[in-house]
Amino acid sequence: MSESQHGALKLRVKSIEAVTPEINRYTFCPADDSWLPPFSGGSHLTVLIPSEEGTKRNAYSLMSSPYDTSQYQIAVRRVDDGKGGSLAMHNNVREGDVLLAGIPANLFPVSKHARHHVFIAGGVGITPVFAQVEELSLKGSPFELHLAVRGPDHAALGCELKERFGDQVTLYGHDGQSRLNTMEILAGRPLGTHAYICGPTRMIDDVVTSAHSLGWSDANIHFERFEDLGSTGDPFSVTLARSGAVIEVSPEQSLLEAVEEAGHKLPYLCRGGACGECETEVLELDGTIDHRDDWLSESDRATCKLIMPCVSRATCTKLVINA
Amino acid sequence: MLITGIKSRPVYDELTPMASGLNHLAAAQGSGGKPLVRLLQAMTPDQLAATDVLYSTESFTGQNYLAELQQFKVRNLAVFTTNADAVRGLDASLADAKMGTRLYLSGSEGFIGTSMQVATSYGMNRDEVLREQAGSSARRVWCAHCGHYSENVTHRVFTCPGCELNLIVRDHYSGRLAAFQGVKADGEVPGEMPDNEELDT
Repeated sequence: MSESQHGALKLRVKSIEAVTPEINRYTFCPADDSWLPPFSGGSHLTVLIPSEEGTKRNAYSLMSSPYDTSQYQIAVRRVDDGKGGSLAMHNNVREGDVLLAGIPANLFPVSKHARHHVFIAGGVGITPVFAQVEELSLKGSPFELHLAVRGPDHAALGCELKERFGDQVTLYGHDGQSRLNTMEILAGRPLGTHAYICGPTRMIDDVVTSAHSLGWSDANIHFERFEDLGSTGDPFSVTLARSGAVIEVSPEQSLLEAVEEAGHKLPYLCRGGACGECETEVLELDGTIDHRDDWLSESDRATCKLIMPCVSRATCTKLVINA
Repeated sequence: MLITGIKSRPVYDELTPMASGLNHLAAAQGSGGKPLVRLLQAMTPDQLAATDVLYSTESFTGQNYLAELQQFKVRNLAVFTTNADAVRGLDASLADAKMGTRLYLSGSEGFIGTSMQVATSYGMNRDEVLREQAGSSARRVWCAHCGHYSENVTHRVFTCPGCELNLIVRDHYSGRLAAFQGVKADGEVPGEMPDNEELDT
């Protein structure tokens, strides 16, 4: 396996390809020419991106074949008013550079029991679907993909899939006219159909609402929010109980990022409030916690005894966490 | 723990209309007609009009609720004389069913279990199915030694018709096989048989 350093993979940038005006596709190979850990469709890779304001840790869906251990591919959409990670990828990273990345983790796997898979994606949300349909295609599982893009300039990735999978792929918006209609896509599906949504929040909400109105249960609806929900807000300070360190969390960074910047470590996986890995006990609190995760239950939120440092913040005069 | 108190022992629901469903499919056997009547009474006229009922008159205890079931204005009522035919009827119905369908099962554990095997094969999940046990607590038992399935087992110890070993019925239930596990009763000390109690719930 590719040489790891503190649990990170060393990846060499093999090629960079502009696939739309805003999206670059990066192909990585192991820096020591060995092999990379295999993954399952829907997995993401946390890439450590050097930037002027320190190291950014951005999670990107893997879009190469899960069965290819010689390379990884990700697509990065440039977000000009984001936290700087995607800009650094676009502006600073060059072919031949070596980047560190975590081991792939999957929070968006395909259902092993589904009889039919329906993917609904928007824009750069197509990236995890690349690996997911590759996996299903090799297993011979039936699937279809509905992809909405903003116009012909943004359709390159969709056209690649259309060429590979033919009628199983339907594009919308590439001609400037057609529109994706979630009710039409979901209506009258056979039992055991699973839907996967990867796109903007509006699209996810739209599909979930349509599916519910058609009597789908939540177990058959899967989604991943690729938009950086971020963790920006008012500054606050946090005390790490074990070391006694007091850390200031600035408006632009998350609690997790601030702790890491100060040289401390917290467990993490998705960095998006979904996986639960960074769940941390709150020992003292003088104020309120601004819970922004999808992990904690309503009752956990209400008691304010737990916090997810990767996305959640606090409005407080004192916060002590068990870390 | 070896015989009883095992976590795989099924826990059943109470049949009540699942309002999120657009279509409803209710299958029952024998005494399972009683929870089914209660379910249909709780339904709105719209829900009844979107409900298909399958009922098997085969019963271990001789209970028959067909006359009561015929009083409801459901979309369709199909009657079967054996449980196996009812399960085949369920299979045919689910083959055409769409997402948004809710399934209700009631009757013996064997009937519920074999019906669940069919529902699972169509990818239905536990959010879409309610199960209520009714009537006899007789069990369907799978012999760990010869693979024979015995229906309507009422006692803790019995002789397997497949291999003629004396089996003890464990509370270990397999959803995949829709049966409790039966293992050689005097496997530890040959000839030393456990108490042959009547099976409880």
